[in-house]
Amino acid sequence: MASDLSSQSPSSDEEEEESAGQKPKTAVNANSIDNSLDAIENQLSSISFNTPIDERTAPSDDHHHESESLSETAMNSIGESSSSRRSGLWTSNLEVEVEAEVDGGLASPSSSGYAGERGSSGSVTSGSGIDVVREVRDNGSSMGDDGAVVLDSSEAQWIRGKRHADEDDASVSWRKRKKHFFVLSHSGKPIYSRYGDEHKLAGFSATLQAIISFVENGGDRVKLVRAGKHQVVFLVKGPIYLVCISCTEEPYESLRGQLELLYGQMILILTRSVDRCFEKNPKFDMTPLLGGTDAVFSSLIHSFSLNPATFLHAYTCLPLAYATRQAAGAVLQDVADTGVVFAILMCKDKVVSLVGLQKASLHPDDMFLLANFVMSSESFRTSESFSPICLPRYNPMAFLYAYVHYLDVDTYLILLTASSQAFFHLKECRIRIETVLSKSNVLNEVQRSMSEGVLRIDHLPVDPSARSGSLFHLNQRRPSETVTGIGGPAGLLHFIYRSIYLDQYISSEFASPISGRQQQKRLYRAYQRLYASMHDKGVGPHKTQFRRDENYVLLCWVTQDFELYAAFDPLADKATAIRICNRVCQWVKDVENEIFLLGASPFSW
Amino acid sequence: MPSRRRTLLKVIILGDSGVGKTSLMNQYVNKKFSPQYKATIGADFLTKEVQSDDRLFTLQIWDTAGQERFQSLGVAFYRGADCCVLVYDVNVQKSFDNLNNWREEFLIQASPSDPENFPFVVLGNKVDVDGGNSRVVSEKKARAWCASKGNIPYFETSAKDGINVEEAFEVIAKNGLKSEEEEIYLPDTIDVGNTSQPRASGCDC
Repeated sequence: MASDLSSQSPSSDEEEEESAGQKPKTAVNANSIDNSLDAIENQLSSISFNTPIDERTAPSDDHHHESESLSETAMNSIGESSSSRRSGLWTSNLEVEVEAEVDGGLASPSSSGYAGERGSSGSVTSGSGIDVVREVRDNGSSMGDDGAVVLDSSEAQWIRGKRHADEDDASVSWRKRKKHFFVLSHSGKPIYSRYGDEHKLAGFSATLQAIISFVENGGDRVKLVRAGKHQVVFLVKGPIYLVCISCTEEPYESLRGQLELLYGQMILILTRSVDRCFEKNPKFDMTPLLGGTDAVFSSLIHSFSLNPATFLHAYTCLPLAYATRQAAGAVLQDVADTGVVFAILMCKDKVVSLVGLQKASLHPDDMFLLANFVMSSESFRTSESFSPICLPRYNPMAFLYAYVHYLDVDTYLILLTASSQAFFHLKECRIRIETVLSKSNVLNEVQRSMSEGVLRIDHLPVDPSARSGSLFHLNQRRPSETVTGIGGPAGLLHFIYRSIYLDQYISSEFASPISGRQQQKRLYRAYQRLYASMHDKGVGPHKTQFRRDENYVLLCWVTQDFELYAAFDPLADKATAIRICNRVCQWVKDVENEIFLLGASPFSW
Repeated sequence: MPSRRRTLLKVIILGDSGVGKTSLMNQYVNKKFSPQYKATIGADFLTKEVQSDDRLFTLQIWDTAGQERFQSLGVAFYRGADCCVLVYDVNVQKSFDNLNNWREEFLIQASPSDPENFPFVVLGNKVDVDGGNSRVVSEKKARAWCASKGNIPYFETSAKDGINVEEAFEVIAKNGLKSEEEEIYLPDTIDVGNTSQPRASGCDC
């Protein structure tokens, strides 16, 4: 499946997210618009923009539609040439209508005129043009321009780097994407857009800046605009503005958390010293500094729906026999004593072992962002590298240096140091580590754990007296089974256990009913909503939650020590589900020294 | 290093209401003119990609409303502008007299790092009206004012006939590019002995 996706048109990849394809709607949810917007309503007459219209030259034949639709405003633009477009802010009409404009124009650009009519005629022609552009890019000639890393697509699990770069706010396809991310400067200059070309979206970017600054001018801050199914979430980080426009029905807290991670990823690459550049020079353009990092951001956004670390704020370890992890930890500790701030051995997004200087603490979010940076930058795979990086939760203002080396196709070593001169020293450290790891068979064990997927719910001990205390005997007994079992007892499909003290979580393998990517994504979204509702400061804290819908029975259990998220078959019985959850917790406890990194000194935050 | 680095220039258009700011922009971006007057409300944004001297760059044009009641939006809108275009109507004395106010207001609100050398361009618009017979501001007078403000480039334009519009925006883009500075980005390195405090030396950007 993975290889499939990379070779064909990108739309099959995230259809859920990419084609909302809803009906035009005019409904406005006025209640949910942030209070700050009320304050500006009176003044709204002062921002607006001109009606779409005939003086725009669109030699396309969809003109008559334009004149019909007053509400196709803000995001509307010209069908004419790709080099010119117009966007603006709201209209000068009554307050009520203004919100309708936000709806139609900004968040859900599906009001009359856009989705059907304008799209059908406009996009057929532009469709062929798009293919041409893509071809050029695939040949690599213009790839460098937007800094995307050119990758061997046969390896990629999804289309890395900028996708749909040919789109802009006039494209129907662009407007139908379910989840947009934008980063812009406080002067309205685009820095990053998930879809579409940043420069072509300059007008849209200016519109976002105008909205944010306008509310700020009134001494307020805009956090969320809800418009029909769409949420527009704003995050202001000094001179950097981040915006997510989504109709995925994720909770506001989740979307804001994702914007925080997006900002964190930017800081990891550049540090917050960029703030000073903006202070000195508001015109400052930081896009050249981010050159070549498109893949890092697209991979990050991709993981928002497929990696629970993004909302649990915890990291996960690769299950390993206790002695194996100890062996890895020992050799890392050796080099840590020679001036390495952190030594991390990882397999994909899972930690094998980790050692840090005393008092130095590594936040799970930093670890996640660092791993994403390493895994999504293809150049790390091909050679040993030494790169400045910043750990935003550790010290957002300054760089550390990361020595990165892949020991095999999935397993990599990161050595972080404060010395820019340490490359050769770290190279020696790595050689030492690599020798020890292969001698002690750690790398093979890592590969085995990775391919076998040891935490399988069909292995959940049924009889408490038969508890073995290790995951690995089980696997030796039944080596031939496939990774996804038929499901656990009582219809258990999946679980995530998060240890609060360790800041680690463990996720079981998926049972076959949720083996596909779309199903997994849907389950993670459901967990995300659970997480948000369990951590809602307004009404919480809650201890348990039992929820049944057409897809699953979800059970969440939060104590001082752990949080458990479990998904069952939708017909599961409540009492049985609770009993199974107890058994899961017991199981996790029994094998905790194989699934968690225990006694890791660096975690002292 | 990408050989063709793309640049984005933020261009602000200022001037009294009715002098033709939106029409100039429309003529430039869309090659269209509408004789009907529609007041811009707040601001309007257009994007145009320009190729010049082998460089590809994007003009992000902020067409602002001329009415005084919108001027409280200034700081938010003017921040980080690369070039400012001042427009007046050669047939309306007052719109010329106000150029000074627009310029000063812009410099105060945008507070550019080097106000003396901030790139402005002045456009005397509507030279086509009545065959030039209703004109009240002479070219000489306008040029004199531009000269007194640090040699601001001056163009006489007609948004209606498309006269000088392309030429004016070419200069706008060029002057905006000129003020673009390349600087080195060099953040601190963490001092492990004192991890919570970054060293005092600033970044050199």
